[in-house]
Amino acid sequence: MGITSFRFLLFFAVSVVLYYSVPKRCQWVFLLLISVIYFLTSGNVLLIMYPLASITVTYFGAKFIEQEEDHKRRKWGLSLVVVCNLGILVVLKYLNLGIYTYNALAGRLQEHPAFLNTLHFLIPLGVSFYTLSILSYVFDVYYEIIPAEKNWAKLFLFGIYFPTIISGPIMRYKDMREKMFSEHTFDYKIVTQGLQRILWGFFKILVISERLVIVVSTVYNDFENYDGLYIVFATLCFTLQLYSNFSGSIDIVLGVSQVFGIMLPENFQTPFFSKSIQEFWRRWHITLGGWLKDYVFYPILRTNFFMGLPGKLKPRFGKKTAKKITTFSALFILWFAVGLWHGGAWKYIIGSGIIQWIYIVGGELAEPIWTKLRKLFRVNKDTKWFSIFQMVRTFLLMSFAFLFFNSAGFSTALSMIANIFTTWNPEALINGGLLQLGLDIKDWIILMISLSVLWIISIRQQKGSVREWLADKNIIFRWILLYALLFWVILMGSYGPGYSAAEFIYQGF
Amino acid sequence: MTKEAIYEKLNEVFQDVFDDDSIIVNADTTADDIEDWDSLEHINLVSAVEKEFGVKFTMAQVVGMKNVGEMVEVILHAVS
Repeated sequence: MGITSFRFLLFFAVSVVLYYSVPKRCQWVFLLLISVIYFLTSGNVLLIMYPLASITVTYFGAKFIEQEEDHKRRKWGLSLVVVCNLGILVVLKYLNLGIYTYNALAGRLQEHPAFLNTLHFLIPLGVSFYTLSILSYVFDVYYEIIPAEKNWAKLFLFGIYFPTIISGPIMRYKDMREKMFSEHTFDYKIVTQGLQRILWGFFKILVISERLVIVVSTVYNDFENYDGLYIVFATLCFTLQLYSNFSGSIDIVLGVSQVFGIMLPENFQTPFFSKSIQEFWRRWHITLGGWLKDYVFYPILRTNFFMGLPGKLKPRFGKKTAKKITTFSALFILWFAVGLWHGGAWKYIIGSGIIQWIYIVGGELAEPIWTKLRKLFRVNKDTKWFSIFQMVRTFLLMSFAFLFFNSAGFSTALSMIANIFTTWNPEALINGGLLQLGLDIKDWIILMISLSVLWIISIRQQKGSVREWLADKNIIFRWILLYALLFWVILMGSYGPGYSAAEFIYQGF
Repeated sequence: MTKEAIYEKLNEVFQDVFDDDSIIVNADTTADDIEDWDSLEHINLVSAVEKEFGVKFTMAQVVGMKNVGEMVEVILHAVS
């Protein structure tokens, strides 16, 4: 049941009514029940064995770690839980990456290559999201930040909580346990603001993303017949599509959870206003970045190897450079992990990982040159125009990386990039060719109006919550605005057959 | 070691890590107050503080310290 499907809305409406009708101390049990139902109706019922196994191993592992005093045995306990959880993820998502890579190498190196067959598994819903959420729980128990959960069912709800299993955000048990298992009374303001957020998510997905996807797939599915500017244009559209789709789904997830009285962590903070790649990743998929920082990046830098590295490198390179080499090496591992998380294919590892690392390290290394250039041309860093330049630059760099993300594969991406840099077809800007990529003029007008609304609201969001701002306004103004948005979504939403958003990009992750 | 002495030493560590001699920290100083104090520099800072005071923070402390005041409490607890 897709997040924008009519069935989902019905399921949600019935759940909310029942949620506020059952005795309050049973609310979390009810959430567990509907989360299990959601999981079972989303695919093969046997797939629930995966989260059941992962969460049960984690539950007992965390208990063992908490009771054990011997440092070595605690470490063994943690390693076992991590290996079990990551092992499942590796088999389901990354085994084929190894097989593809082996086949590609064998095809080049061996005369009579013996190719391996790729394996096809049914992937349980949200496996990349719940695995990270429950791993954060066991790490926090190991670090003695939280006690181990005594109730297995509570941990199970934390793992498969139905709004978050669709597309994240990745949760931390220490932040969720109070909210998830406490009693919630119906609060008009909280519930209506949750509903407003769901509507906003529907707007982003159904009105914007579902139109942009037509432009993007027209070019990407037939990339050999499109040149230069067409590929650039479709790639810029994809960046906007990915954002409206992913952040829209997060709006729905957070809105749904808010209606249940459970506030989830934010995952986006108007990322396109970022002035650097580092800032972009602090504002895009925030919970993934936070997770990797706390459980990958910091632990790597705290290992004896990395702690000792600056000292070893210092005599040869000097203190500052030694420190930089250490940080850059750890960053490489971090970005490789970010890329890998996005999927078991080189296009993800390169596009969402290594390119980002190159941007960041390259930016740091080139900083003295930029400073000199700025001085030479007397460019003032603190002006509004320079900020806008930085934002546009970040958007373009990210779009370039997303080209890999959306292409059929790494080699396809390379040939598309080669095409961009070898074909010069500025006439596409004037002859209206760019507007003929699957959308008619009516769709373009709706899209332009909607993107402008998204843009204006995003500017307003920088100053604080738009829903809080709206709550302070005159009731007539408020309702006119909300009804306008509702009817805009109902009338202008792009509904595929059977009313279900065609592609939901992050669901497969 | 007194709190004052810890703050004095901490100032030096901060100035060294962030390459800025004008930094003076107090109990309420957070990452928001120092421009370069991001998640990357945080870990460098932690290592430098550990080296200076001869202590070792746990991972819970590394990710849990919300301001300089909390850092000082942890150091005070470790060195006394």
